[in-house]
Amino acid sequence: MKKIQYLLLFLFLSITSSCVEEQNFDQFNDLDIIPTVEASILYVESPESVINGAPGAVWYIQTFNFDAFSEQFFADNVLDGVITYELENTTSKPLEILFEYLDDAGNVLDTEFFSLDPAPTAVLRRETAYGTPTGRSLDIIRNTSQVRVNARNLGDNNSVSSLPDPMIIFRSSGKFRLRLK
Amino acid sequence: MRKWKLFITAIFLGSGFLFAQNRELLYDFTEIPQAILLNPGIETTYSWYAGVPLASGIYAQAGSSGITVHDLFANDGVDFNQKVRTRALDGMTKRDEFGATVQVDLLHGGFRSGKNPDIFYSFGVYFESNTILYWPQDLAYLAFDGNADQLGRRFDLGHLKTRGEGLTVFHFGINKVMDRNLTVGARAKLYSGIYDFHSSTNSGYFVTEEGQNNLLSHTLDADMQLRTSGLEEIRAILDDESSGSVGGVISKRALFGGDLGLGIDLGFTYQLNSQTVITGSLLDLGFVYHSGDVKAYTLQGRATTEGVEAILPDAFDDANSDFWQDLVDEIEAQLPFEDNNSSYITFRPTQLYGSIRYNFGEPVGGEIDCDCDIGVTDADVRTPYRNATGLQLHAVSRPRGPQAALTAFYLRRFGNILSLKGTYTVDKFSMTNLGLGMNIQAGPVNFYVLANNLLGYQNLADSHYASFQIGLNILSWGANR
Repeated sequence: MKKIQYLLLFLFLSITSSCVEEQNFDQFNDLDIIPTVEASILYVESPESVINGAPGAVWYIQTFNFDAFSEQFFADNVLDGVITYELENTTSKPLEILFEYLDDAGNVLDTEFFSLDPAPTAVLRRETAYGTPTGRSLDIIRNTSQVRVNARNLGDNNSVSSLPDPMIIFRSSGKFRLRLK
Repeated sequence: MRKWKLFITAIFLGSGFLFAQNRELLYDFTEIPQAILLNPGIETTYSWYAGVPLASGIYAQAGSSGITVHDLFANDGVDFNQKVRTRALDGMTKRDEFGATVQVDLLHGGFRSGKNPDIFYSFGVYFESNTILYWPQDLAYLAFDGNADQLGRRFDLGHLKTRGEGLTVFHFGINKVMDRNLTVGARAKLYSGIYDFHSSTNSGYFVTEEGQNNLLSHTLDADMQLRTSGLEEIRAILDDESSGSVGGVISKRALFGGDLGLGIDLGFTYQLNSQTVITGSLLDLGFVYHSGDVKAYTLQGRATTEGVEAILPDAFDDANSDFWQDLVDEIEAQLPFEDNNSSYITFRPTQLYGSIRYNFGEPVGGEIDCDCDIGVTDADVRTPYRNATGLQLHAVSRPRGPQAALTAFYLRRFGNILSLKGTYTVDKFSMTNLGLGMNIQAGPVNFYVLANNLLGYQNLADSHYASFQIGLNILSWGANR
């Protein structure tokens, strides 16, 4: 009979003496979920023949609708970021590229100016920070809904580069930190 | 919307994350009437029993294989983000899971046939809910780290696997003693599905690579699907888009007003010799046909993008077009996110039990073990021995394949009043799972309590696994054969 009592006692103690060490669920409030996402933005390429065929110095100007930055989820959660530009000029002409950020009403929020020597030139790469202590205002990104490319030819309209398939290439991507929690 | 989110959270946390479903303490614990639910071919020694409605079987089980509450929320001064990083993100894999089961007997009873005492009938109704969520490892990394500086890394969408259901089960079983050595049983089940959701056949990936034109190229190759049943009507009520009450919807669907299904349980007990017994059962071999209030979401296709592209001189022709919208439209066409109301079938998580038991010591009641007829009333009934030990195997079908557990047990009977069963179980969740069950028979009143993973009770928050079952029955002993 004593064995039964011991067993019952063990069972009773096992179940009823269960305890839960103190937990601090408020720690969840400290959780940061801040992924860094990156994506291509805009790619423009033009062969030298297009530049030669343009009547004036401004051989290309185009406004692109670009809603990615002004999407509410992105605009509400973006913390900071970097936009990377990469330009490659294999034409025989010096070129200027003006890249502009516009809001809904077409107001210019920010500009990025590139001056490219004629070929052979190294690839021009630039990174511009937004939202960081030394960077530009993040509001530029949040309010951007269009971007405009303005390309000027500072050279002639008949020379052709000796490099194969001469062209001007504009590449861009963005890398941003988003606060999901 | 907030109420709807709370409801979803309640399903996951309240009805729980389905887990191993292994009920090793109850299995083959022949003194407890509810053991017949785990093996319809169990040896029955009572003439009838009646479970106390809503209290004859209350069972809950929960756990997680990769992490405990204590791992994250212990008041240990460690930075919470660091704990999440090292213990969850880096510490868990796609095979880790969170799960639980809740089962409540609404009604349960059984009686021996008056015409043929070799036959025992059982019947009842119980509610069951279970959910399983595998740790979506790659998607978690994508959420916490993003895709930056991860060129070439494929985030596997197949890591998203979850399944959950709540249903009422109406059952009727027959248990028959075939001869002195063999008892078989079968149970028919009618399922009335209350809610169901599952997303367990996903595949595909998301990858960022160096672009061919632009700096980066992003590819999403997806074949994903989430099917739900019984949730849309509740969502509409909670979002005030529809009249009615959530309780009303659940009640209706619990009583054949929702999805219907059929299933069977099979089982046997075979006496190899006077002291050695093998048992086996196959449970929930069945399906549920989801046809009411069905909503499915799919994301299927493949899209690659390098952002907005303008390639001159061709782009001059589209100077007035919306390049951004064209890009969005193109991706949506290649990778459509759609919904539908098509009916579907889900198969129940079938379970398999097996055991070998060796009985030893004196038979209960003190009769001399003469290796001969030790029946209570006649030669077809065997008196249980005071001691029994053996092994049990349990397997259950899961989204990532069968999951097995092995249990060693020792059963001790103290007269006809008290029985104790101790178990040691090894499975993917724990190597230290000790369980203890107690069955008390006080006259016609039968009470039992079973608790698992007792070592975890020292600090439940640090336990990977816990289960608990309690029940109250009125029964009459004696096979009357």
